[in-house]
This record gives sequence, C-alpha cells and structure tokens, in this order.
Amino acid sequence: MAAHGIPRYTRLGERTEEARQQELLKIEKYQKLDQSVRDSIAEHQYTPETLQKITELLTSNPEYYTVWNYRRQVLRSEFSRAASADSDEAIAGQIATLIKNDLLFLIPLLRSFPKCYWIWNYRTWLLDEAKRLLPVSMARKFWQEELALVGKMLSLDSRNFHGWGYRLFVVETLRALKSEEQGEKGITWTEFEYAKKMIGANLSNFSAWHYRTKLIQRLLTENSASDEERRKMLDDELDLIHRALCDPYDQSLWFYHQNLMCTFDPSVAGQTLAPNLSDSERLDYLRQEIEEIQDMLDGAEDCKYIYQALIDCTVLSWKVEGREPSGEPKTKVLGWLSELKKLDPLRQQRWLDFEQSLCR
Amino acid sequence: MSLASGPTKAVGAQSNLNLRVERHVDYIKKLDSRRDELEYWLTEHLRLNGVYWGLTALHLLGRPETLPREETINFVLSCQRENGGFGAAPGHDAHMLYTVSAVQILVMLDAVDELEKRGLGGKEKVGNFIAQLQDKETGAFMGDEWGERDTRFLYGAFNALSLLGLLDTVDVPKAVSYVQSCENLDGGYGIQPGAESHAGQVFTCVGALTIAGRLDLVNRDRLGGWLSERQVDNGGLNGRPEKLPDACYSWWVGASLAMIDRLHWIDGGKLAAFILRCQDPEAGGIGDRPGSMVDVFHTHFAIAGLSLLKFDGVQEVDPVYCLPRTITMKCLSR
Repeated sequence: MAAHGIPRYTRLGERTEEARQQELLKIEKYQKLDQSVRDSIAEHQYTPETLQKITELLTSNPEYYTVWNYRRQVLRSEFSRAASADSDEAIAGQIATLIKNDLLFLIPLLRSFPKCYWIWNYRTWLLDEAKRLLPVSMARKFWQEELALVGKMLSLDSRNFHGWGYRLFVVETLRALKSEEQGEKGITWTEFEYAKKMIGANLSNFSAWHYRTKLIQRLLTENSASDEERRKMLDDELDLIHRALCDPYDQSLWFYHQNLMCTFDPSVAGQTLAPNLSDSERLDYLRQEIEEIQDMLDGAEDCKYIYQALIDCTVLSWKVEGREPSGEPKTKVLGWLSELKKLDPLRQQRWLDFEQSLCR
Repeated sequence: MSLASGPTKAVGAQSNLNLRVERHVDYIKKLDSRRDELEYWLTEHLRLNGVYWGLTALHLLGRPETLPREETINFVLSCQRENGGFGAAPGHDAHMLYTVSAVQILVMLDAVDELEKRGLGGKEKVGNFIAQLQDKETGAFMGDEWGERDTRFLYGAFNALSLLGLLDTVDVPKAVSYVQSCENLDGGYGIQPGAESHAGQVFTCVGALTIAGRLDLVNRDRLGGWLSERQVDNGGLNGRPEKLPDACYSWWVGASLAMIDRLHWIDGGKLAAFILRCQDPEAGGIGDRPGSMVDVFHTHFAIAGLSLLKFDGVQEVDPVYCLPRTITMKCLSR
C-alpha cells in the first residue's frame, strides 16, 4: 500500500477474464493458507507443520505482522520442549539449532525486503532469545555473526536507516555480552575503523559521519582522555574535514563540520568531544576556521554552504564574546548574507529572518 | 464547498498543474472495492491505517461524507482485541500503530462514545492498552507486547491519549526526557538515542513535545535550518541529507516546520508544484515521486502537505495530529 519508487504503469483496459480468474485462484489459495494458520494457532498447535505453513505465509507476505507473532509463539513452545532434554549442553544445543535455522530463514527475506520493519523486529527478538536462553559464550557468537551480516547489508545499501539502527543495537548488545579478552574498548575501536572505512568509500555518507561523531565521544570517554588528548582529536577531525571539503558542494560534509563547530558553542559544548575549552581557545579556533573557510571560496564562489559556514562561525564568535554584532564583522556577515540570498532562493525567507534579527 | 469541480490553482507561480480533487476522491472511494486483486489481501496488515489515511484525505479534500459512517465505525470496532488495543484488520494482533489510527478515525467521525456503547470497556480500556506499553524505566513506548521501541510509538501514544483526554495516565516527564535523549547536535531527532536524525522521527519527537507543552526544549533555529535543507532543487523534500525527495516528506518536514513556526523557511510554491507532479492525473492518487505508482499513504500525506501550504480548496490540517483542524479544535476543547 505504501509503494516507494515503483514506476507507474497504466493498465491497458481491463484484465482479461482469464487473468482475473487466475488472480482469484491466487487469492483463494492465499486465504486458505491464512485461515489454516489462524486455525492452528487458535488450537495451540505449535507443531513443525504449523511452522512450515507460517513460513509459507510469511514468504508470500512478510508484512503480515500478526503472523510473525504466531511464529514467536511456535518458537517459544519449541524452546520449552527443548528444555526437557537430558543435559544443559543438549538443551543449549537444541535451542541454538532452532535459532540458527530461523535466522537463516530470514536472510533471503531481508534481501528482498530490506526496508520491512517486521522482519528486522523479528530478527532482533530471535537474537534476544539467544541472549536470554543460551550461555553467554554461545549467545555472543550469534551476535558477532550478526555484526558481519549487518556489515554486508550496509555495503549493499550504505544509507539504509534500518541497517544503521540495527548496527547500533547489535553493538550495544555485544558490549553487554563482552568477554574478558575483548573489552569495550575493542569494539568501539573496531566500529570507529568501520565508520572510517564507510566514509572512505563514500564521503557523502552522512550516516557514517554521524556514527563517527558518536564513536569519537565514546572512545574518548572509554579512554578517560585528558583535555589535551581531546584537543588533539579535535585538531585531527578539523584537519580531516578541511581535506574532505575540497568538494565544498557536499551537504553531508557541512553537517559534520557543523557538528564540530558545536565544540565552540558554550551552550552545547558539553555534548561534544572537547567540552572544556576556554573561551579564548574557542575564539582562536573560530578565527582559524573563518580563515580556512574563506580560502575555500576561491573557485567556489557559487557555493552557498561556504557563506553559511562563515556566517555561523562569526555569529558563534559573537556569542562566545558575549557582544552584539557591530563594525567590520557585521558588515562582512551582511555581505555573505547577500550572496546567500542570491544563491539560495529556496530558503529566501530563512535568510530574510536572519537579516532582520541582525538589524534589529 | 469551494472546490466542487473547477480547476484549483497552485500557490506560487511555477505550476500550471491542478489538484485533481475528483480523481483522488474516486481513487480513495474505490480502494475497498478491489477485493478481486491479490494486492488487496496482501495489504490487509495496513487496513486500519489505510482507512485513517483515506478518510483524512477525504476530509481535507472537503468530502468528509464520502465513506459510509456507520460501516466505517463498525469496521473500526471489529478490529478491537480483548486487551483494548486494535489490530490492522479483524483477527490481527493489537499494536500501537493501529490503535492510534482507530482513535483518530473515531475522533474524526465524532464516534468516541461508540467505544462506551459497543466497544470493549470504553475509552479507558483503549487508554490502558497504550499506557501499559510505556517502559517505566526509560519513558519510551513499545509497539506491542513483543517490545520494539521507537519514537514513533511515543508520539502515537501521546496523540491518541491526548485525544481521549487520558494523557495523565502515563509518565509524561519521563517520556519527554527520552525524546530529549534522541536529539542530535544538528537539532534533529533519531529513532532511538544515538541514531541519525531523520525527518520522520523529527516529526514524531516535535509532535510529542508539542502535545506535552515542551516546545521550549527544541532549538528552533538549528532544527529549522536542518529541516529547510531537506528541500531540493525540484521543490520536493527529502528525509535526510543527500537522499531523494518523496511526496510524503511534504508532511513530515512541513508539519515539523509548522510546529516550530518555520514553515516559511522553504519555498511553498515549488513544493506544491512538486506534489502536483506526483499525481496520477488520470486514475487519481499520488505517488512518492513524479511517475511513481500511487498509494493511499502518499496520497494522504501529499494532500496534508498541500494543506499546510494553505493550498486553495484544501481544508486546514492540524500539524500536530494530522487531522482536520476543525476536528481537533472541537475534540481538544472538551
């Protein structure tokens, strides 16, 4: 019912009577299967036959969320049957096999319907069951394999929203399941490397830049980094983004730049990688930044993001200094603003609002 | 009615396209008569949402009487489960998403009292289903007993509970701090703490904060800047940086901008023209992009987007609830 990006076709006249009859047959078959699954669940027949029918139904319609719930009920019942095995080892082995098989069943579905919420939910539930029912070492293995899988999914569609959210979730769980040998630091570091790799493959991938922001902060906290080390990290990041911005027309890069500029904003600096800079340090950074960005204008005079960043940095420096816009800096801002109004007609009113606030 | 059949003019000068009101009304009206198509059965899991989308679109198009009222109420009530929640269709499991649609439809039809008369345990029972899905620790809401958490559900809970006058049955301050924990440095919000900003999630978070009376927590200029950057050269809006535009973001982005008083920060005329290009001018309905397959979801959110832009002939929509403004005003003043 919610189609995305599927080309519109025009049905040429009505379906032929034959085609209509064929579709009716398909509907009848589908409804029969649906009814039979519902009957089995109503009668609490949590059997392999029911599971098979559920598999068939979900394969033809993975959006049918109620049937995913039925599948959970059947699996839960199989788990408790397994719990009557002779030894703990046998119990764990049987449960692990059930989970493994079900995870495998989901792979082709995820490949065909990567944006279907219900499949991802069900998969999460299965893995949570592994965590709940299996010894930690076994559960961890499932989750580690999951990280590899989500990596594969993201290499096919590097902006998939579900994929990134899912990755975050898998990593969180792996942290909770961490072993002695591989501490928390290990996984944050490998994730940081992963984000780097994804950015390297496509600089426009804002999802990866966003992940990088989060990971840097985590890394610094985990390492109990000193203010000095935090400054070093900030310098490296500024360096990196300046080099990336040799293509100044890429919006993703500027949003990462904006994230970094928050470090110099006293009201949000607490949430950034270097929260304890002094005001004079902040002003120094902002001055350098303005120079750096002004250089980018050379040959890219038509790039609106540059003017926007120049204005943001200047306004921020006023905020740090606690003074009202005036004099030469204000004239400069008004100059950049007039460029912006020309270059960015879609957001004309936004710039007019800003102009008004400046001249109040 | 002001629009009967004459051509409707787009706001702004770019477009000479018309809103095909009659075609869209016909398209929505016929949705339920396609039982001889397999697709109809494969989308049963969206039926109750579909009724909400279709009915709201018809209201906004000035045709609130198009669907038979009694039959619609009967269908909604037939989706209620013993736990008070609603499933997508009769026999389907209860879930937050459909429960919210059920409440919205009943409010639109001025039929909430039917819950008392014919439903299971009145509106309190529905409210109770929603309230027990709140995670007492974090303030977040789950979609159903299986535990998925998503800011969509938190917004849905606030939406339905406030319409029912039962918002005080949940821990609002805790939910508000959960929303805050989903905020990013760009001023936007993600699906969970730590996740990238996404226009759909921005809508749910700003909507929830508006209902809670806590818009003071939003950095309006920062968020307004991020949202206005969703508009791309062809006039359409996308959901995240460097993604393709999609007619439904006319709503997610547009309504968010409206809630923080920044809707004028985008070019409304160009957006309206983009939406009109997404219409199927012959068979009716609106798709995600020009030339795409239409569906009732995009048809509804595209029309709601036009309403935000005060498009000629479209009734006013409430940006917080995505219901006709006249209806929320009446419901919330009770």
